[in-house]
Amino acid sequence: MTHQGMPRTVMPGDTITREARRAGDNVVLVGDTLVSSAVGLVSVSDDTVSVIPLSGKYMPRADDLVVGMVISHTSQAWELDINAPYVGFLLATDVFGRDFASHADELTSKLALGDLVAARVANFDRTRDPLITIDDRDLGKIDSGELVKIAPGKVSSLIGRQGSMIQAIETATDAAITIGQNGWVVVSCDSADGLLRAKRAVSAIEQGAHSQGLMDRVKSALARGGD
Amino acid sequence: MGTVSILDGLRRKLVADSVASGRRADGRALDEVRELTVEPGVIPKAEGSARVRLGRTEVVTGVKVNPDRPFPDTGDRGTFICTAEIPPLAHPDAEAGPPSEAVIELARVVDRGIRESHMLDMSQLVIKRDVSVIGVFTDNAVIDNGGNLFDACSYASVAAILSCKMPVWEMGEDAPRLVEGQSRDPPIATVPVSVTMGRIGEHIIVDPSLEEWMCLDARLTITTNSEGNICALQKGGLDGFTPEQLNSCAETAISVGARVRPRLEAARQAR
Amino acid sequence: MGGRDTDMVLLDANGIRCDGRRIDEPRRIMIKAGVLHNANGSAYIEFGDNKIVAGVFGPRDVHPKHQSNAETGILRVRYHMQPYSVTERKRPAPSRREIEISKVIKEALLPAVMLERFPRTAVDVFVEILQADGGSRCAALDAAAVALADAGIPMRDMVSACAAGKVADTIVLDINNEEDQAGQADMPVAIMPNSGKVTLLQLDGVLTRDEYRRCIETGIAGCKIVYDIQKRALAERHFSGAGQ
Repeated sequence: MTHQGMPRTVMPGDTITREARRAGDNVVLVGDTLVSSAVGLVSVSDDTVSVIPLSGKYMPRADDLVVGMVISHTSQAWELDINAPYVGFLLATDVFGRDFASHADELTSKLALGDLVAARVANFDRTRDPLITIDDRDLGKIDSGELVKIAPGKVSSLIGRQGSMIQAIETATDAAITIGQNGWVVVSCDSADGLLRAKRAVSAIEQGAHSQGLMDRVKSALARGGD
Repeated sequence: MGTVSILDGLRRKLVADSVASGRRADGRALDEVRELTVEPGVIPKAEGSARVRLGRTEVVTGVKVNPDRPFPDTGDRGTFICTAEIPPLAHPDAEAGPPSEAVIELARVVDRGIRESHMLDMSQLVIKRDVSVIGVFTDNAVIDNGGNLFDACSYASVAAILSCKMPVWEMGEDAPRLVEGQSRDPPIATVPVSVTMGRIGEHIIVDPSLEEWMCLDARLTITTNSEGNICALQKGGLDGFTPEQLNSCAETAISVGARVRPRLEAARQAR
Repeated sequence: MGGRDTDMVLLDANGIRCDGRRIDEPRRIMIKAGVLHNANGSAYIEFGDNKIVAGVFGPRDVHPKHQSNAETGILRVRYHMQPYSVTERKRPAPSRREIEISKVIKEALLPAVMLERFPRTAVDVFVEILQADGGSRCAALDAAAVALADAGIPMRDMVSACAAGKVADTIVLDINNEEDQAGQADMPVAIMPNSGKVTLLQLDGVLTRDEYRRCIETGIAGCKIVYDIQKRALAERHFSGAGQ
């Protein structure tokens, strides 16, 4: 969507508008001018102008669903790579429950190095590392599928309006796709061909999230058989 | 300190299952080398140079040729020094600062493959016996680590040496003097080719990618010369090989080496 | 910088320089963004005979921990030359010159990067000089700024750099190696192109007050040429139709 008088694509330092609007994500106010601080796409909602970045790490937000990978653990918690500037902490009590006893319960019996989990950001305020939880329905260790990484800013394109994009991909391939807001996506499918086509569709979004006619590109990625 | 990257468990399983099925996660056959591009002459300020891309691995290597003092016991030979560096931009696990054990091993394995093959006839690199000889410095820089740095650095070194235009010196009063306007080809005796193989379970794969590298039980680098003889070896990794596996690895290194050799030899044309 | 005697004609009667350029003309500049697979952002630049690659990592955990700052993220820059990048083989260990250049590049980038958003983290910029020519610090800085933007590090502006100098008593843009050796002054300049602020400025050589003023103006004009090329590189990487 282009907005009158505003560029569609911007880079750091580019002027977006001098209209009186609120500066949203990745936009800074310099004097009376809204300036982009990222390579990305201009997005306007109500009176707020923001830029959807096309690269960069994920900035944790409470309640976001993320996909994380166990990279280490202490006697009390696992450390998760969540593609963020900060390591996520998953407390042992979150998995073992209130009765967790660090001398008796071995953390690796539940989650080992390299394990992927579907998780939720419990809280985060930049002064401390984000706290992660898997204590909810549909959260926890991911047992099958393949991890595909996309820029976190492109997650909304992958989901599509009211989930239209992801539904189109899942329906066409019979794949189950877990989307982390952090850009980590696990694609799982019983058929090798469906898996290949679903991964190709996700890649098409990673490469063309900025382009108009994205749905057509994804449809063509879905249509081609495995080769 | 530093970080050590981890491969996610699902990918690790996929890599192992693919190898067991005979077709690797990136679609290659077990004895297939990744796409190899060799660009000689990319650093005109060096006497020889090459950029090598092996899959996602990228190495830029330069050769400097300078008069040098001979070693006391080998005054009738030139000197050869080969270094390797993994600058921190190549991978998050790579760090600035003094070279790690792994980087020193890398440099020494690449050096050994070239030195022990007698690729360069060092007896032709003498300006004045016992006084002044020609030194050949080969410096490898890994720009992007996509796995199997042994072969990538070896190919870049060999191509850079083959692409060399060597200055000519003559002995002056007490120091060698550059002869302006003259150059010569390097005295190449053979073209060594390094082939690194990894074992995952009972299966041997050639030229492991980075994700495969992270799953290896053991690895073996075999360098062969133009005659198809074996001239250097390095076994690494946490586990071993059976003698039968070692025999089949040698056959593989010879046949894969013969396929790669012409690609490196083409670097002569950059002189 | 002495303005040493030389046989070379640095500037002929028609105002053409030893490499055929006009006095306000930069050397050939080529930038490509997104050249590395493991870095969060990267760029490759050829600027004259300079060949330089820059990689950015982060924001990420700080090691060693004592460098970490609870109020803001920190920027670390390493400018490093490959042994074969210069005529005489250079020892691999960082020299005092490389350490100083790393510092001035860091301080040229700092006003642009918004590290206050990432307390307790580090952004690392690693620059490798594969082949060095005159003006390598400016070229390195140009690649570093593109790599930072490619990595999605928030920046209030780009940073663009180009040198000006004095050759044969004339102020010229972007001096090359020969002009650096035989010329009278070399002034590397970097600006934030939208705000206009100068974030890197050095000088080797002697200038009159008037020459000083014109040299800065000339350098800034060069930075603006570079800025357009930086933007094209980022657009090609992130906005081109086909992607990779």
